[in-house]
Amino acid sequence: MDNTLIELKNVSKTYSTAAGDFTALKNINLKVNAGEFVGIIGKSGAGKSTLLNMINGVDQLTNGEVIVRDGGENISVHEMSEDGRALWRGRKMGVVYQSFQLLPMLTLIENITLPLDLSDNFKPRESKARAMQLLQLVELEEHANKLPAFISGGQQQRVAIARALANDPSILVADEPTGSLDSITADHILDVFEHLVSDQGKTIIMVTHDTSLAVRFTRNLRITDGELEHEGDSDESKKVDKTMRRRRK
Amino acid sequence: MRPRWIKVFHDLWDNKARTLLVVFSIAVGVFSIGVIAGAYQIISNDMSISYAANQPANVELRTVGFNQDVLGSIQNTHGVLDAEARRVFNMRVRVAGTEKWTTLDMVAFEDFEANTVNLLTALQGDVIPKKREVVLERDALNHVDVQVGNVLEFQLQDGSTKTMPVVGVVQDTAMGAGDFLASPYAYVSMSSLQYLRQPELFNRAYVTVETGGDDIRHIRVIGADLKDKLEKNGTRVIRTRFSETYEHPLASTVNAILGILMALGILIVFLSSSLIANTLSALLNQHLRHIGVIKLVGGRKRQIFEMYLVLIMSFAALALLITVPLGGQGAYGLALFISSELNFNVLGYRIVPMALLIQVAVGLMVPLIAGLSPVISGSRITVLRALSGDLTGDESQPQGQQQTRVSWLDRMLIRLTRILASRGIHFPRPFIISLRNTFRRRGRLILTLFTLTMGGAIFIAVFNVRATLHAYIGSIGKYFVADVTLDFDQPYRLREIEQMVMQVNGVVGMEGWQFVSGELLDVNGEVLENINIFGPPADSVLIEPLLVKGRWIHADDVRKLALSEAAYGYFPNIEPGDQVTLKIDGREEDWEVIGIFKFVDREGVLAYAPYEYISQMNNLANRSYSFRLITENHERSYQNAKAEELDKFFRERGFKVRVAQAGRATLDTAVESLDTLVVFLLIMAILTAVVGAMGLTGTMGMNVLERTREIGITRAIGADDRAVMSMVISEGLVIGAISFVLAIILSIPFTYLLSTIVSLAVFETPIDVIYTFMGYVIWFGLVLVLSVVASILPARNAARLTIREVLAYE
Repeated sequence: MDNTLIELKNVSKTYSTAAGDFTALKNINLKVNAGEFVGIIGKSGAGKSTLLNMINGVDQLTNGEVIVRDGGENISVHEMSEDGRALWRGRKMGVVYQSFQLLPMLTLIENITLPLDLSDNFKPRESKARAMQLLQLVELEEHANKLPAFISGGQQQRVAIARALANDPSILVADEPTGSLDSITADHILDVFEHLVSDQGKTIIMVTHDTSLAVRFTRNLRITDGELEHEGDSDESKKVDKTMRRRRK
Repeated sequence: MRPRWIKVFHDLWDNKARTLLVVFSIAVGVFSIGVIAGAYQIISNDMSISYAANQPANVELRTVGFNQDVLGSIQNTHGVLDAEARRVFNMRVRVAGTEKWTTLDMVAFEDFEANTVNLLTALQGDVIPKKREVVLERDALNHVDVQVGNVLEFQLQDGSTKTMPVVGVVQDTAMGAGDFLASPYAYVSMSSLQYLRQPELFNRAYVTVETGGDDIRHIRVIGADLKDKLEKNGTRVIRTRFSETYEHPLASTVNAILGILMALGILIVFLSSSLIANTLSALLNQHLRHIGVIKLVGGRKRQIFEMYLVLIMSFAALALLITVPLGGQGAYGLALFISSELNFNVLGYRIVPMALLIQVAVGLMVPLIAGLSPVISGSRITVLRALSGDLTGDESQPQGQQQTRVSWLDRMLIRLTRILASRGIHFPRPFIISLRNTFRRRGRLILTLFTLTMGGAIFIAVFNVRATLHAYIGSIGKYFVADVTLDFDQPYRLREIEQMVMQVNGVVGMEGWQFVSGELLDVNGEVLENINIFGPPADSVLIEPLLVKGRWIHADDVRKLALSEAAYGYFPNIEPGDQVTLKIDGREEDWEVIGIFKFVDREGVLAYAPYEYISQMNNLANRSYSFRLITENHERSYQNAKAEELDKFFRERGFKVRVAQAGRATLDTAVESLDTLVVFLLIMAILTAVVGAMGLTGTMGMNVLERTREIGITRAIGADDRAVMSMVISEGLVIGAISFVLAIILSIPFTYLLSTIVSLAVFETPIDVIYTFMGYVIWFGLVLVLSVVASILPARNAARLTIREVLAYE
């Protein structure tokens, strides 16, 4: 049975710059199955963030198609309007960025309930309970009423993950979520991701420049100059994965 | 509360300086419009009500003495509702024991209790003076330092004095309404006249009409009938005045002036809207990242639009919270000030619904309209662009749309810098950066320049208008060249007075003038208006007429006159050589128009004919009531001293002096009245300048905020606090200087427009515009100071940033 959740067909992205046209993505074809923790690894400028922005519909593609399966229905992300994509993203896809992107004037709990509000799912009591549940998941419930500025970077990133999960989306995309964190905090974030994949069945696509993280993914993709160089399961990462699961048990 | 509204609340509350800037930007426009609209409503309503409430006379007849029988005949005239007679005469008074004399118009009543026309309103003390008591009009208290209970000294014709206590203060809103130049009034009973050595005869009749109190043509007809009747009975009518019951004589002037202020108020609203647009656009730029985040987690255009709309409406609501009560108070204050200046009453403090409505509408609509474009473009921005977070200038465009060419302006600046450098002229690098920075945010620069330029242009125009009005008064002054005007209660021979005045040290010349009054008639013989004909000697050196057409008077002119331009109001095509029909002493006569001269149309139709002919008409050959004197020095203080000296000189010799006053007195009073108007205009100009300065402060603040990273880089490569500050301040100065140049250009049409409106309102005559460098110099200094002041705070903020802070700005 086809378990594909996300499919990229011949996706290309070309930017026009002063120096001429620049192709950031070249004919990308990719399938991501439900429950996968996919890592896209590449150097700075390789096109990994662009690829992620094609998947979450934040940027427009030049050619090709991105299809996301949702309840038996195939949704072509880039055929939706900007508003349609925003609503779909809010409900169906959590997004985490390196720079956390929390609203500084809202408390942690308010930041988490924001997607519920924007997707018209806000019910004061239930939404608050849901936000607290997510804060517990990322072990920050005692900081619920603090402003982002009063917690550490790692904690902010965990809040960003909690916010991404507010509407209980099946897919999570993360752009260098550990890029500005120290190794211990980064490890903790990856633990959360692994937990989401293994225990909640979420599908996560994460881009990073850090090759050492390859072991944490169920599948590694390497991107160089806008082309996916290598696609396949990482034996090493599988090994690590198994070790991790065993350790948890 | 939903998180998105919590965000809106924090946007409003957390950045108080920005909130205050937006709120004040809205408030300044709403306040100005509220004050003026409120005052306009209060005055236009209360002025006529207050005036009508005191039963103003529709016809005022100034005559030689008449008695109760004549009054009875006036009262019995068809169409007359009521009539009262009074004796009005001029006296010099002073507080007993002091030196300073003041001239008052004394009004003697037969019966205060039977007062039914031009009603007096009691303010203080006893309002019905008994024999040898006096009551003062409240305006007199501004001229004589006296209180109820004090004793005043009254100077009689022979120079001796009589005393009377002040027993009360009244307000007389009807008498003297519309006459800026009237002396303050004092009231006595007819029984005091003998004591003051005045004949117990009336010389004024105040008449109200039975019907058609607001039909000026009907009033004129009744007035003409009364004049005929009196003159047939041997009572010579010197002058008649007509007024409508519900129309204050100055209503049109006040409304026109308030109209000008309203136009300036609207302009301030307009300017403040550009300020609001600028600030909101910057706010949206600062919030791009927030918008990006909201869109990232599911926010749609409509939701973002609603959020920022609510934010704008909250700014508006806050502004209204401040300006509605303040505007109401301001409106009442302005109305009170104008009413006290023009001696009418306002009906008390109240909220004017129309003004309130205008304030709310302006307060809500202007920010909405000004903010619509930035909010729409902000809500439409793509997530990627919003999250890119590079907010500086054109760089905020995504790469695909980035400008790839250097603009013509930058190329020009680069070329200019190179040319100057090749000739050894080197600008400091920070200044070159400032110069280029100035033109980076073109939209914002244009809005800032627009606001500052408009403020400057109005400021300069107000000074030009002031100079124009003063120059006009100066030119009108050519009709009043005499240094001292000496009027007597009886005619004296010219030679006799000449011999006398030449004995007074400093007097170098004298002329005797005469007057005659009549009515100007239309082709059907209907009265159009009163006409006063002045009769100076044909070779008078005390008048320099501003002739528009034809010639001036000659000694041998018979039934020929020069008419003021006001005649165009009745005869638009009148030319020298045409005939006009006048009714003088009950007789209709055709007079030939020999010339047309410029004068204040508000004063009605005036005419000049030679003394040689007028004196024959009046049977006063070689005699006169009125003399114009020339002194060796023309200063106002010298004129005052000479007037005082001449007054004393003639009284001591038994002459019946009516009044001796400085020639410039009338003009100076007119100038004072105009200066009050100019002060109002200046207040509005300063408000526009304040809006301009706020705009510049906002712009500089936004520029600094957006260039935080660049400032950090500049500091990282060695710029110290002073260099950073001077970069920001130089930018402010460049903007100020550009706005000054533009304001010079714009001030020309503004001056024309404002001068024309003011002159039509005040003089009912268009006047020639005069430019003065004063406004330009003051504004140049002011705009430089404002530019520096507006840039200092943002510059200090920029200089305070540490390299670490600014480079970690993202």
